[in-house]
Amino acid sequence: MICAGVDAGSRAIKIVLIDADNKQVIANGVTDQGVEQNNLALQLFERLVKDNHIKKEDVHSIVATGYGRNIIEFANTTITEITCQAVGVRRLVSSAMTIIDIGGQDSKLVRLDKTGKVRDFVMNDRCAAGTGRFLEVVAERLQVSLEHLGEMVAKSTEPATISSMCVVFAETEIIGLLAGGKAKEDIVAGVQTAIATRVMAMAGRKIDLPIIFTGGVALVSGMKTALQATLKENVAISPNPQMTAALGAAIVASDQLKETSR
Amino acid sequence: MNNGPKQITLEEWDERYMQLQRLGLCEVGYGGVLSRHVQDGDYRLLRLRYDNSAAALRLWNFLLTEEERLHQGRAEGKKIVGTMKDLGTVPVMAYSLDNVVAFYPDGAWWIPCMMELSAGLLEVADSLGIDESFCPVRAMLGAFVTEAHFPIPDMLLCSVGATCDDFSAIAQRLNALGYPILWWEIPHRRNPEPDEAAVRLPGGFLAPQSQVEFVESELERIRAALEKTAGQKLDDESLSAGIKRANKVRKLLAKLRNATFTADICPLPALEMLIAEMLAIHFCSDQDETAAVLKDLVEEVEGRVKEGKGFLDADAARIFWVNPVADLRVMNLLEECGGRICGTEYLFSHALDTIPENLSPMEALARMAIADPMVGSSVDRAQRICADVQRFGSEAVLISRIPGASHCALEGEVICEIVHDKLGLPLVEIEVPVMTDSIRPKLQTQMEALVETVKERRKI
Repeated sequence: MICAGVDAGSRAIKIVLIDADNKQVIANGVTDQGVEQNNLALQLFERLVKDNHIKKEDVHSIVATGYGRNIIEFANTTITEITCQAVGVRRLVSSAMTIIDIGGQDSKLVRLDKTGKVRDFVMNDRCAAGTGRFLEVVAERLQVSLEHLGEMVAKSTEPATISSMCVVFAETEIIGLLAGGKAKEDIVAGVQTAIATRVMAMAGRKIDLPIIFTGGVALVSGMKTALQATLKENVAISPNPQMTAALGAAIVASDQLKETSR
Repeated sequence: MNNGPKQITLEEWDERYMQLQRLGLCEVGYGGVLSRHVQDGDYRLLRLRYDNSAAALRLWNFLLTEEERLHQGRAEGKKIVGTMKDLGTVPVMAYSLDNVVAFYPDGAWWIPCMMELSAGLLEVADSLGIDESFCPVRAMLGAFVTEAHFPIPDMLLCSVGATCDDFSAIAQRLNALGYPILWWEIPHRRNPEPDEAAVRLPGGFLAPQSQVEFVESELERIRAALEKTAGQKLDDESLSAGIKRANKVRKLLAKLRNATFTADICPLPALEMLIAEMLAIHFCSDQDETAAVLKDLVEEVEGRVKEGKGFLDADAARIFWVNPVADLRVMNLLEECGGRICGTEYLFSHALDTIPENLSPMEALARMAIADPMVGSSVDRAQRICADVQRFGSEAVLISRIPGASHCALEGEVICEIVHDKLGLPLVEIEVPVMTDSIRPKLQTQMEALVETVKERRKI
């Protein structure tokens, strides 16, 4: 039997198909998010099953997660990305105790207990200062692609000090820094530090190790280093970090399927 | 008279109201169909879900007619006293006089939400330099300036010192606009030194005798001012009788809280519980009617508990809620996400404890005033929360942060840490602005995740 997890995030939709018996990943895919969220997710799902020679009816349970989870009409049920990240990350890194998940519009810090269940969690507030959106804003302003931010950070000699409180304020600061002749590389490094500082504020004074970094922003090079420098702890990037919530959703789907078929 | 407990919309309440009338609903003067309040501009009512009992109808009608009651009081020649930044002390004194109506101007913080920003109160506050970096209580400034809500009080009292910094700034701005305020000081409650005489406060905390005496001396100033405004003597006998009446309300609330929070199946939604608990601090401008409203609610809840009826399933996550919210929709969201209210600490837990009746009334009131959670440390507040969490069997704690409120920025983490270390329960801190429509998905995620966490923990 096959189960699916659909992570309808704010910037991208991710789908993972697993074999419910051994929880091995059969296929996964990602597409950009848009206005027609359900259709986009459905198209991705149909493409994945077709490419992998799977009949749609062989997918017995689908769990949707993420910001747009309630819009995914073809899902059997919904589970929050907090629970799904815990399940997905623990599947890939069984010792994980703290998850830092930075996505397009949200950032979360999830603390796990020894059994891997969520102990508690913190989400960013209304401002996008600690999220991927901040990186997008700076990339647009500096006219560079997101993929190149990491290379730029590596060349930074004197990272700029940038507000971690508000993306709009920060953008104004960036304009000021550019006008003052600050190097683009130092500005990008400053932004990554600002995001990491925001995450540190969510973590509070206690943070259990190991820390696993996941979500789309984990793919941006330099962010892991910024988090490590700010938290003063080792941070490991989860395997396939963009897919962990969808993987967790697929595992939850298979667990639910087993429970109902008992 | 009631159907099974159910949460219904305002439109459904119209039909329900007719049904109740056919069944012989007896109403008080302020009764009537709930939807009429929308015509007054309370558009948010259209988006809420309500308990379907006659007792809840009375509660809502009582709340939504407070402004009318205040204007009626003025017309009857009663003195109107605004008790600002006071969570339950001065109203007890004011209601010990028979020609005084006390109210809580700070309650205007709900107007922008209820009227979906149509009243323009926040814009008035903005124009006065009190912008959204301040607590939503700033709406009160707009209510004073527009005079479109409550009548301008004959007397304004405001506690300062160890209270909210935002509120102090807002009240000072009001004062500067030409509204005279009698300021009274409440010190930060501290633990007695080893060689200091100590006093046990309602709620169990200790305070130095000297602090209680100081607060008592401040309350004496208020007594003199109230006497002057009312033109009546406020003697100890009247105060003792006033304390007994306030305790009647507090005992009813204690009964309501205990019955609701400890029931296997939640008998009353979080929203109605919030409104009911708020009555403890201001009585909605009518102390006797407050008791009558609460008595109805207690009977309804006890009846439901006896019959095992309520909302959601028995497995709903039992959530302890810290701090009130500006947007009432968020209380509905708790149940929509599969949680139920199981304990609260809305910053006035001291106003739920009975006032000592075996002391001189002024000393009893002083002890009560200094038991206020806001004038004590966050550690004290967390201890009280822990005790109540255990008492009610809550499974998780939700801390609702009020944007701009200075105390909220500081105490959330302290409460989280202490509750976690002592009880090991999951906690989440959410921020609830005046209107949550645009951040509803985020709030929903946080609440649903908390409920999922509770349910997963049950499997261990």
